[in-house]
Amino acid sequence: MNALPSLFKHTTVLFLLLAVGLALVLFSVKYQVQDLEEELSQLNRQIANERQATHVLKAEFSYLTDAERLRRLSDRYLDLEPVQPRQIGSFAALSASPDRADETSGDTSNTMNPPALPAAIEEIER
Amino acid sequence: MSEHRISPLVAHGRPPIRLEGAHARLLETARNRLLVTGTVFALAFLVVAGRLIDLTVFDQTNNASLAGGVAPDASGRGAIVDRNGVILATSLPTASLYADSQEIMDPRAAADGLMSVLPDFDREKLVTKLSEGRFVWIRRNLSPNEQYAVNRLGIPGLHFEIEERRVYPHDRAAAHVLGLTDVDGRGIAGVEKTFDSELAAGKTLRLSLDVRVQDMLRQEMVAAVREFRAIGAAATVLDVRTGEVLGMISLPDFDPNAPGEDDDDARFNRAAKGVYEMGSTFKLFTVAMALDSGTTTLRGGYDASKPLRVAHFTIRDFHAENRWLSVPEILVHSSNIGAAQMALDVGGPTQRRYLGRLGLLTTAAVELPESGKPLTPKPWRDINTMTVGFGHGIAVSPLQLTTAVAAVVNGGLWRPPTVLVRGGESLPAGERVFSARTSAQLRGLMRLVVRYGTGRKADVPGYQVGGKTGTAEKLIAGRYRRDARISSFVGAFPIDAPRYVVLAMIDEPKGNKSTLNYATGGWVAAPVVGRLITRIASLYGIAPRVDEELEVKWRPPAPTIKKPLFVAVKEAIADARGRQIAAN
Repeated sequence: MNALPSLFKHTTVLFLLLAVGLALVLFSVKYQVQDLEEELSQLNRQIANERQATHVLKAEFSYLTDAERLRRLSDRYLDLEPVQPRQIGSFAALSASPDRADETSGDTSNTMNPPALPAAIEEIER
Repeated sequence: MSEHRISPLVAHGRPPIRLEGAHARLLETARNRLLVTGTVFALAFLVVAGRLIDLTVFDQTNNASLAGGVAPDASGRGAIVDRNGVILATSLPTASLYADSQEIMDPRAAADGLMSVLPDFDREKLVTKLSEGRFVWIRRNLSPNEQYAVNRLGIPGLHFEIEERRVYPHDRAAAHVLGLTDVDGRGIAGVEKTFDSELAAGKTLRLSLDVRVQDMLRQEMVAAVREFRAIGAAATVLDVRTGEVLGMISLPDFDPNAPGEDDDDARFNRAAKGVYEMGSTFKLFTVAMALDSGTTTLRGGYDASKPLRVAHFTIRDFHAENRWLSVPEILVHSSNIGAAQMALDVGGPTQRRYLGRLGLLTTAAVELPESGKPLTPKPWRDINTMTVGFGHGIAVSPLQLTTAVAAVVNGGLWRPPTVLVRGGESLPAGERVFSARTSAQLRGLMRLVVRYGTGRKADVPGYQVGGKTGTAEKLIAGRYRRDARISSFVGAFPIDAPRYVVLAMIDEPKGNKSTLNYATGGWVAAPVVGRLITRIASLYGIAPRVDEELEVKWRPPAPTIKKPLFVAVKEAIADARGRQIAAN
C-alpha cells in the first residue's frame, strides 16, 4: 500500500508530460496542415491562373496564325508563292525522258486500270 | 486504469481514511460511481484512439479526396474549333470597369485621370457617372493594357468586374457558319445557336470546316465580287465521300467580333439560307436521271435546231447551235432546248422523285438555323418539268446544289451535308440515287464540259476538273432580268475519283473587258473555281497527274465544235480513266 502514492505521483507527472507533449505535437501538426492547405489553395490558384493563361494564349495563337495575317506577313518578308501544279513532278515522269524510254515500258500500272466511262460507251456501241 | 488515475485524488499522500458503517457504504457507493464513469470515459477515449490509429496508420486510401482536388476548369462557354483544332470561337475573361461614387473623392479629377488613359469619353457625362451611384458601369470589356493603365492611376472607387467575352480570332473567315452570341453569351445565329446548350455547358465543338479553305474561298470570292462589281457571292466546298462541309462562305460578310457594324444583308447566309434558281447546273441532274432511268443513252440526242414553244413560253439556247444535239453536246453546249425535251421524256413524277432523293425539294437538314426552304413549282405541270430540267422555276440553296452534285459524282450515293466532323462510324451509309454506272458517265460528261464546253476556264492541268456552268437570270418583280444574273460553276476533282465538290456562285456580276463583257458562269465563276481547286489540291497534297496520253491527244478546242462530239467523248474518256470510285 505504501508504494501506491509514489506510483500515483509518478504516473501523474508522466501523464502530464504526455499531455503537454501531445498538445505540442497536435499544435505543430495543426500548423503544418494549415501551411499545407495554404500551399494547396495557392497552387490551385496558380493552376487556375495558368489555365486561364493557356486559354488566352491559345486564342491569341489562333488570332496570330490567321491566314490573312500570315499572307500579309509572307508578302512582306518572304519571296514565296503558292505552289502551282506544274511545279510538282514525280520520279516516273523523270524517267520518261526519250533516251531512257525503254526503262519506263514496265510502268503500265496506271494505264492498266479499266477506264470508267469507255466501258459504258463501248457497251452502248455494241 | 481509470481507478488509478482517480483514486490518488481521493487519497493523496495520506493513509486512507477509514470510516465505519453508513459512512463507509456511502463512500463505497461514490467510489463505484466514479469507477463506472471512469470506465465509460476510458472506453470513449479508447474508441477515439482506435479511430485515430485507424485513420493515420491503416486508412491511406482516399487522401487525394481529403486534399480537395484541383479546381475544375471554369472557362465558361465552350470553344468552337475547326477540323484541325484551330480555335474559331472562344470565350475570354475581360475586365469591365465600374465606379462606386461614394469612394470617389473628386469626380472631376477622377474623370480627368480616366480620360488620360481612355480618351474617348465625353467629360461631362463621365463626371455625372462618377458621382451618381454605388455601381455604375464606366466601360465594358477593357483590354488588358487598358486595365493596367486604369489600375496604375490608383483612383479609389474604380473597380473591375471580370466578365466573359466571345472572341472570334479569325474575324470574318467563318462568320456565317459560326454565327453570333448576344450580350449575355447566348447563341443567336449559326452553330452558336444550334449547339447553344452544349456550348453553354462548356463543351468544345469541332466543326468540319477547314479555316484554311475558308480563307481561300473568302479571298478568291472577294476578288471576284470586286472584279465583277457583284452584289454578293457564295461558295461551298464539300467532301464528296462524307458530306462534310469543308468550306462555306457568303459575301458580303460581317465581323462577328463587332456584329453591329455590318448591315442585315451581311448577316444573310447566301450559301445555306439563300435559295436561287441555279440555272444550267441542274442539267447535270436532268442528264443523270435520263441516263439512270433509261429514257435516253449517251448516243441519244434531241433536236435543238429552233427555239421550243410551249404554251406561251419560248425556250431558247444561250449558246445556240441550231441543230440536232447528242446528249453529251446538250451538256457541253448547255442547251436549254435539249435539256427541256430530255426532262419531258423523263416525266414529271420521275423528275420529282429523283430531285427529292437528291434533297432538292426539302429544306436541307444541316446543323444551321439558317437553312433555306427550296421554292418548287406548284402545281408541277409539263412546262415546269421542262424549265426545272434546265434549272429554272426551282430555287435551291447553293449548299443543297453542292450536296446533290456530290451524289452525282461519288458513285450515286446521297449523304446529308454536315458542318460537324464525321468520324468513321458516324458516316451515314448514304442513299442510292443513281447507279454507279450513271455516276461514272456523268463524271465523263462533266469532264467534257470543262475540256470542250462552257467550263473551259475552270480547267487546271493535272487535276482533271469536271463541272458545269450555270447562268440564271434573276426573277425580279415577276420578270426575268437579263442584266441581273446568278452565275455559278460547280466542279468536282479529280473527276475520275472525285474528292471535293467546289461551288462558286456570284450574285449579279457585271461583265468587264477581260470577260468581253460576258457575265455568265463560264466567264465569271469557272475561273474562280479553277483557282480554288489549284489551291485546295496543293493544301491537301493531292498530286497532279500529268497524263501522257492526254498531253499527246489534247488540242486546244475550237471555240465551238460543229461536229458531233463522239470523237471528243472518246478523247475525254481517256482523260477520265483511272480508278473507278467504289460504290461504297
